[in-house]
Amino acid sequence: MSKTDLSGATQADVAAIASAAEEWVHGPYRAATRRTPERCRFVADVGVPIKPLYTPADVSERGIDYLGEIGFPGEYPFTRGDRPGMFRTEPFVVSAYSGFGEAQQCNRRFRTLLEWGAEQILVALDLPTQCGYDSDDEMATAEVGQVGVAIDTLADLEVLFDGIEIDRVKRVGTLGNSIGPIVLAMFAALGERRGLDWSRYTVNLQNDPLKEYIARGTQILPAPAAARLASDCVAWCVEHAPHWSPMTVCVNHINAGGAGSSRATAIALANAIHYIETLLAQGYAIDQVAPLLHMFPDERHDFFVSVANLRALRRTWAKLMKERFGATAAEAMALRTTVYGHGQETLQEPLNNIVRIGFGTLAYVLGGASYVYIASYDEAVSTPTEESVKVALRTQQILAHEHGFTDTIDPLGGSYFVESLTHDIERQILDALGEIDGAGGALSVIDTGLGRRWMTEGAVRRQRALDSGDRPWVTVNLWPQQPDVPNTAFRVDPETTRRQTGRLARVKATRDPARVAAALAAIDEACRSGANMVPPAIEAVKAHATVGEICDRWRRHFGTFEPSTDF
Amino acid sequence: MAAADDKRVRVLVAKIGLDGHDVGARVIARGLLDAGMEVIYTGLRRTPGQVVRAALEEDVDVVGVSILSGAHLALLPSVRRMLDEAGAPDIGLIAGGVIPQEDIPALEAAGVERVFLSGTTVQEIVGHIARRYGERG
Repeated sequence: MSKTDLSGATQADVAAIASAAEEWVHGPYRAATRRTPERCRFVADVGVPIKPLYTPADVSERGIDYLGEIGFPGEYPFTRGDRPGMFRTEPFVVSAYSGFGEAQQCNRRFRTLLEWGAEQILVALDLPTQCGYDSDDEMATAEVGQVGVAIDTLADLEVLFDGIEIDRVKRVGTLGNSIGPIVLAMFAALGERRGLDWSRYTVNLQNDPLKEYIARGTQILPAPAAARLASDCVAWCVEHAPHWSPMTVCVNHINAGGAGSSRATAIALANAIHYIETLLAQGYAIDQVAPLLHMFPDERHDFFVSVANLRALRRTWAKLMKERFGATAAEAMALRTTVYGHGQETLQEPLNNIVRIGFGTLAYVLGGASYVYIASYDEAVSTPTEESVKVALRTQQILAHEHGFTDTIDPLGGSYFVESLTHDIERQILDALGEIDGAGGALSVIDTGLGRRWMTEGAVRRQRALDSGDRPWVTVNLWPQQPDVPNTAFRVDPETTRRQTGRLARVKATRDPARVAAALAAIDEACRSGANMVPPAIEAVKAHATVGEICDRWRRHFGTFEPSTDF
Repeated sequence: MAAADDKRVRVLVAKIGLDGHDVGARVIARGLLDAGMEVIYTGLRRTPGQVVRAALEEDVDVVGVSILSGAHLALLPSVRRMLDEAGAPDIGLIAGGVIPQEDIPALEAAGVERVFLSGTTVQEIVGHIARRYGERG
């Protein structure tokens, strides 16, 4: 036991507590469970068995050293928070992920969100845009404006942000996982056209293509090329806008897909390592690039696992940056996190999802997330309605300001349970990361099918637990109800495709064809030479080259991904 | 063609359109396989034409399409129509995913035999396919 043992107990105390706890479990607790059996097996989704009670002995037997492993907010290893003031100086950033239909109607939604108090807007793009197809492409049939807003050219983004002062919100951005350089270029050009220096606003991208091949499915190119283009965005920001956050490496979709939060965290860390190594090979220093990378953790089944995962992730990141990459700057080791609050939402009685999502988000808040998005209660059904989006935003504001949730920093730190769980989950993450390293790193997770195998195994296990009732789910396997999909579900105007393709045709008819051709030739040249893709992308979007035209140049040079038919 | 004495049901699990969420599709594919059926998965981002071609080449009894992007009203009826036009009206078409209840009658009228919403157990889907296609031989 170290001198800063978290439990503060002496060795003799610990032995006495451990034996008393043992007596309690085998005595009164066992007697109680003989009279009334335990309700279920109490195993977290990540496979950690949950004990009936945690005591100082649990903390002590894990050798958790307070100063070494837990420490202070804003200090290595950042278990208790990425910055010293945490929510006492500034609560998490209340954020909205929104987009549907056409830029003009979506602009009205954005203005409304800002009036309601949203502090950052992340644009949800429709699938054709995310997959690099213009609205008039055959592949875009029936998908224009469906799950996000259609953006074909810079003209659409200008309409989307018309009247919105992008330097007055905390961040603007989009996911753009497979089209990172194009969306980064569009947001850079948007500022330029308004005479705003890049230092005066902040752009955030997800720009994490590697997880698309495992979980989310908007990949365009072979994975190594996609990783290079994503890394180019980080490199460009190091040079031109070091306060932007051009990459958010995602656990979210990999866990939602079934991998479980610990394995999904390990895959995401392996992806981050791949991007970082790409940048280091180009001559950048770890202290330059690591501060620009954020992560997007995820755990939506178990409240305390969620808290513990966030704390363990910050600690793991700090140690990785310091020990593996030799980082020395605090900002390189202090991981900033974006989360998207979910519960285990149902189609049955969807209003109950407000409560589920609220609790899921509370776990992230108690875990110290930096940027918080939140699902709308009807999101499992369709694009959220205005009313459900408002409830989501108000939920975040309530969590930030009511009930005293944010009054002290890391309020669950020091809990015998949460510290034990944080330690166990850190071990799970490191074990899985070791397995990935052994298999050859991030690209091998994709190529060997390891990632998809982890996901399918986990998804099948989850489904069985729900089908059998091992994992309780109110209105699904407890008090089961019929799915209740409201007929007021949000609908995209059926005229969207016709109007959007009309707008695209008008932009194409009025742009300077010679300028477009030259800009696209420069894209070709950057593909060949390996030069940073962002500068030619900025020229191309300013010339009103389309998302599809730029992606076609990439596809022609790098080839396209091969969909896996494994299951 | 499957051998005449092979009575195992053949199912094509398909993703159409750009929607990249295929966990549900893969979990169901596994469940059907575990239930003794022969299962082929198309992989992501297929057009209705590609799905129909795969269904004919693989000589399946039924096609199960997973769709979460909201494009179901356009894409599912075209799969049915192309199957019929290819002379395969006997190949069944079922669907699952995020589909508003009010769209189900229109899909059924267009020849989608059954729509399974999320929250459906794998056993319900296995049961439906086994009952409907298990006796054909």
